[in-house]
Amino acid sequence: MKKDWLTGYFFTLPSIILLVILVIYPLFLTLNYSLSDMSLTSSRYLGWTAYNKLFGNKMLPLVFKNSIIWTVLVVFFQLLLGLGSAIVLNKPFWGRSLVRGIMILPWVMPGVVAGMVWRLIYDPQLGLLNHYLKSLGLIDQYLTWLSVPGSAIYAVIFSAIWKGFPFSMLMYLAGLQGVSTELYEAANIDGAGKWKQFRYVTLPSMQPIITITFLLTFIWTFNYFELIYVMTGGGPAESTHIFPTYVYDLAFKRFRFGDASRFAIFDFLFLLIFSLFYVWLSQRQKGAEQ
Amino acid sequence: MKTHWSGHVITAIQVLLLLVFVLFPFSVMLSVSLKAPDEQFTSPPYLIPKRPTGDNYLHVFGRGSMFVRYFINSFTVALGTTVVVIFVALFSSYGYARLQFPGKKFFFNLLLLSQLFPLAAIIVPLYRIMGQAGLIDTFASLIIGYLAFSVPVGVWLLRGFFVGIPKELEEAAQIDGCSQLQAFWKIVVPLVRPGIGATAAYILFLTWQEFMFALTFITSQDKRTLPVGIFDFVGQYETNWGNLMAASVLICIPVFILFLFVQKQLVGGLTQGAVKG
Repeated sequence: MKKDWLTGYFFTLPSIILLVILVIYPLFLTLNYSLSDMSLTSSRYLGWTAYNKLFGNKMLPLVFKNSIIWTVLVVFFQLLLGLGSAIVLNKPFWGRSLVRGIMILPWVMPGVVAGMVWRLIYDPQLGLLNHYLKSLGLIDQYLTWLSVPGSAIYAVIFSAIWKGFPFSMLMYLAGLQGVSTELYEAANIDGAGKWKQFRYVTLPSMQPIITITFLLTFIWTFNYFELIYVMTGGGPAESTHIFPTYVYDLAFKRFRFGDASRFAIFDFLFLLIFSLFYVWLSQRQKGAEQ
Repeated sequence: MKTHWSGHVITAIQVLLLLVFVLFPFSVMLSVSLKAPDEQFTSPPYLIPKRPTGDNYLHVFGRGSMFVRYFINSFTVALGTTVVVIFVALFSSYGYARLQFPGKKFFFNLLLLSQLFPLAAIIVPLYRIMGQAGLIDTFASLIIGYLAFSVPVGVWLLRGFFVGIPKELEEAAQIDGCSQLQAFWKIVVPLVRPGIGATAAYILFLTWQEFMFALTFITSQDKRTLPVGIFDFVGQYETNWGNLMAASVLICIPVFILFLFVQKQLVGGLTQGAVKG
């Protein structure tokens, strides 16, 4: 038995050490910095009162609001589009595997490249979006999508949905293939229509995969940096900052490491509480079903 | 079950709409990459170049362009990270899938929890640690930094593949006199080869496109990786869109080819890693 312990640690220790050195220890350092007013040249220890500075910062409500709008809209539409396209691509048709391969390309495309391409599409003069919308008679004149505070965040959100939905699609496709055909046959015999089959057979069978996909995409989207950084840099007038972009801005453009660390800790705690709550909720649901 | 012809038409329309939605940005990228400057700036813009040219691609590879250098840098960093991750994750994921030891559940949960850490939350201390170690502006700083997010992902993905392999195989090998390590190395590892391929591909893909660390840790131009390097084509007042899009196409090609080969295994790994508790 004792030998078994040794084998267990022999196999897992390298990853544990890396995790501690590269993630846990830096996180404690961030917590430590967050209690100070550290900048490039000086550091003044403030203790927990440093957090008064965070909650007095007028950017906190804005960054928090943006992060929520951004994450909720992106995740919701990725779920919808992912599930819809998975259902379509689960039907048999000629060239299906090729189409499936093509559909995951946005997810595989590097984030910086995607940001650049969408910047070009939204460009007020060179971009095709304005041209097409005008041809369709939906707008009168070319719009500056990314340089107006009201529309910029939604423009980036649209690109993020495009960029990330193939991941959800892949997960749901795998999930659909796991739904037992006997259940559909039984539902057919009972005279259930398409919608009822979806509601009472497909959705319940896919519950675990939807749960985990929702959690993963929520966390990834909340932490996603490149797209906003490349498309708007947090502008115009700081209107599109979410936590990662604002933390980066504070730390490496203004060298306000203390402020950056407080925003980072807030970001982390929010995600932690959200995830714990979500896991608790889905466990309880599972318990209620059994 | 036979589908009525109208069902086929509806499916075809749905597939077509999805393809248009997904492919539109790619067609913009390809189109502008093939346009000479006079075609790039026409008003109104149009999708299909009238006189397609390879000039942008030649320029990206041409004299005075750092692009080939960036390509080699990216490749070095991505490959270096992937080799380390696979080696570490191969052992760890087996440990978490098969072995019993105190603290196992705690450490595995910590590993999963590390997915929550926004990289932005640890970048300031990591930057300072790298500075103290004298690693700023080296590939080592990037490779080490990338381990922070890719080791947990690697372990999580690979574990799904190990769970799928029957325990009896190693037990039989151990009865035949193999040690645990030998049974692992000779029997189990060869069986998860597709999983190793898929995991390696995923880590390559993550590191190939990583931007935040690459932007922060690397200070000299000749050590930049591709995602940072393409900003060479973005000027302060004017962006060279033709060159930028040609470079973009070239950055995409390696990862697209990679995914073509491992798509099936990767999906298997992602769903197994996620769902098999």
